Amino acid sequence: MEHPILFISIILETLGLPVPHGPVGHGLIQQLCAPYMTYTWLVMAFLFLVAKLTLGNLELVPGNGQNFWELLIGGMDDFFADNMGRELTDRFFPMIATFALYIAVANLIGLIPGFMSPTASLNTTLALTLIVWVSHHLIGLREHGLSYYKHFMGPVWWLVPLLLPIELISNFARLLSLSIRLFGNIMAKETLLAILFMLAGGFFAPLPIMLLGVLVSVVQAMVFVLLTVVYFAQAQEHAH
Amino acid sequence: MSDVKKEFVQLLANYGHIGFTFVSAILIGLGGGIYLDQKVFDGRTAPWLTFLGLAFGIAAGYKTLFEVVWRNRRAEEKERAEAEKRDGGGGSGG
Repeated sequence: MEHPILFISIILETLGLPVPHGPVGHGLIQQLCAPYMTYTWLVMAFLFLVAKLTLGNLELVPGNGQNFWELLIGGMDDFFADNMGRELTDRFFPMIATFALYIAVANLIGLIPGFMSPTASLNTTLALTLIVWVSHHLIGLREHGLSYYKHFMGPVWWLVPLLLPIELISNFARLLSLSIRLFGNIMAKETLLAILFMLAGGFFAPLPIMLLGVLVSVVQAMVFVLLTVVYFAQAQEHAH
Repeated sequence: MSDVKKEFVQLLANYGHIGFTFVSAILIGLGGGIYLDQKVFDGRTAPWLTFLGLAFGIAAGYKTLFEVVWRNRRAEEKERAEAEKRDGGGGSGG
């Protein structure tokens, strides 16, 4: 299959920087120049610049840009507070909202020719997932102290040998499902688009998949955030 | 986004992850069983821990499934209670 044209990689190559041709390169510089890294920085720069441009000077009567952000942030804040309570929302809103914005933009950016989704690499999604997974255990430990282990023990003592493995397995399944679902969905979208573009790009064959791609991107970002919120809420509430 | 579309996306987000979570729970259970059988006990317990792991994995898959169902039922009940309270409050006020 032909290598997709990624304009940041081309720019870096003309600058003389080594761009890896496999999924991950050798050596630090090659790893830093891997497409999913460079496009992650692009998404970060995009989000930063847009926020700076629209929210640079806050006004009492909001303009168009500020209105958009107020609607978005307000909506997310309400959603989190509904699902995991006010206290947790206030503490973790910056993290989860950043994840939501980053994942949504990173998913959608892959639909434009010349760009790729950073989330189409398992490295990115696994990093996001590990942060969520570790922090939901930290929330549990902080809330309940050492008696957090009761979350994994079930309601009665004679069910412990049955329920402990089940709880542990389903807890580790969170790690696997959260990272591989996001990665798989986005990579499938990217690969399908690339193949269709190569086969019948002149006949607009990728167009319906692009339409579906928008839906998948938004839904996957939403799923990630929803599951994060649910895990945080479950870690905080009392054991059965 | 209109309300219908928003609800559609929310429903997809609520239920769209069930399949993958179910499969990964089974895979982790099975993988753990195979690891215990082949690496830890050197094949002496050969098929049994694999079967046990598979059974626990399937049970864990069902547990995650039921968790989703219970969570949504609780949310629905809360919503209904709130709606009733609102209706009751409106009735007494009018």
